[in-house]
Amino acid sequence: MTGPNFRRFYDAFREIISIVHSTPDVEELMNIVVWKMSEVVGAKGAIFRLLNIETDELELSAAYGIGKNYLRKGPRLNHNIITDLCRLNRAIIIDDLHHSDRVQYALEAEQEGISCIIDVPLTIGIQARGILRIYFAEVRDFSDDELNFMVAIAEQCSCALSKARIIEEQELKYNQLALQTDKLSSLGRLAAGIAHEINNPLAGVLLYSSNLARKTEEGSQMREGLDIIIHETIRCRKIIQELLDFSREREPQKDPFIINEIVEKSLAIMENEFLLNRVEVVKDLAEDLPLVMVDGNQLEQVFVNLLINCVEALSGGGRIEITSGRNDDDELVTVEISDDGPGIPKQEIDKIFEPFFSTKSTGTGLGLSVSYGIVRKHGGRILVENGLHGGARFRVEIPYKKATE
Amino acid sequence: MNPMRILVVDDETIICQGCSMILSDMGHSVETRSTCGEGIEAILGNRYDLVLLDLKLPDRDGFELLKTVNGKQTRHVVVMSGYATVQNAVNSMKLGAVDFLPKPFTEDELVAVVENIAQKDSYLV
Repeated sequence: MTGPNFRRFYDAFREIISIVHSTPDVEELMNIVVWKMSEVVGAKGAIFRLLNIETDELELSAAYGIGKNYLRKGPRLNHNIITDLCRLNRAIIIDDLHHSDRVQYALEAEQEGISCIIDVPLTIGIQARGILRIYFAEVRDFSDDELNFMVAIAEQCSCALSKARIIEEQELKYNQLALQTDKLSSLGRLAAGIAHEINNPLAGVLLYSSNLARKTEEGSQMREGLDIIIHETIRCRKIIQELLDFSREREPQKDPFIINEIVEKSLAIMENEFLLNRVEVVKDLAEDLPLVMVDGNQLEQVFVNLLINCVEALSGGGRIEITSGRNDDDELVTVEISDDGPGIPKQEIDKIFEPFFSTKSTGTGLGLSVSYGIVRKHGGRILVENGLHGGARFRVEIPYKKATE
Repeated sequence: MNPMRILVVDDETIICQGCSMILSDMGHSVETRSTCGEGIEAILGNRYDLVLLDLKLPDRDGFELLKTVNGKQTRHVVVMSGYATVQNAVNSMKLGAVDFLPKPFTEDELVAVVENIAQKDSYLV
């Protein structure tokens, strides 16, 4: 390619590349490309049709120079035509509209003033993503350079599409996470408000039942009943106190800690439980951990809650592994607690941090949500997953940057 | 133990009645009020040995009453609250409350708090 032709293609190519890199909006990019493309190769017009992955249909995404009536008509390209095109990975010239299986509305195309069509594939990796279709008013010869130019431009658009899709996926993931976090904290606040209201009627129940119990003969049936009422009301009180702890009212009182100290303390608290339930504990604590600013009591509560959770999952004995470590890229100190129990059912794994979600008949469903609230208040997070070889794995991440500031 | 003159300020009638019944059984004389305004009025016009005060009242919160009566003729205020946070307890103490009783409480817990105050009082006398 030489002379003015080369200049034309080169300039158009450069322009399009710069748009690919500067525009996050794919639709805008495609609109510019169909317009530029038509201009540079002297076409009547051009369109993009992209494959909608969900419906498996080709949808019109951008058009230039082609009448609305014709566009509305089609072409409803069939899926095979696209995949074939992508497999060939080069431009296909259709200069006999009436005898090509790639053209469904030859007559209408003719009426629109179209005599020749070039199809260019859009691929991401090896996947067909769509088609760039360029319409010409007359049949003519196309140089290899021209065809290569069309393919190169289509490749650039594919790149932009794939980049946009990655961004979209990330955004979606982030939004889901944000939504989940929001939901949890508003649930917590709501629950705390209700808890507060419930304490008043409970005060009446507890005051009168304990007063009556004192006036009733010990060992009598009446006394037995009253004792049950008292016991159950005190149980309610405990649940509500946990709920209030979960609400944002209590701010952590932070002191510098090496997280291993807190882990060791939690293990000591749980020692008896481990013995009773025949649980073997394997610990692997990192030695070079930085100080973190945390509320020691609150974090201890988190680890104890997670350990209780593991012990309960291991009915009849098993193994718990607890490890600590650091992630300097993200400036985090991490503690991982895993068991070799049955793991968490897939449909429950998203819910386990929600208040009142419990699979145990005796659980309040607050242990993990309280833990979640505490870790969040430390600027960290708790992640949960099922291990590759079964069992559940909880990972607590606490940022350590603040300690040095 | 000397009988005390006690005022209960709570908008929950059941709690007023319950406390009243239990404390009367112990030999104390008990009055009840259901708003902050009525509570303040009663305290300014009478001399109580002990006020049991709810924090959440319909007109103003109980802290207002604490501020108003602090250092006045009432000897002791015990704050009762269904919202038993450390912050609330600390604020109450700062404003002169002598004890903090988280709701719900049992008769024994109420009696223990009142006896504790009666005992302190007897040392003072």
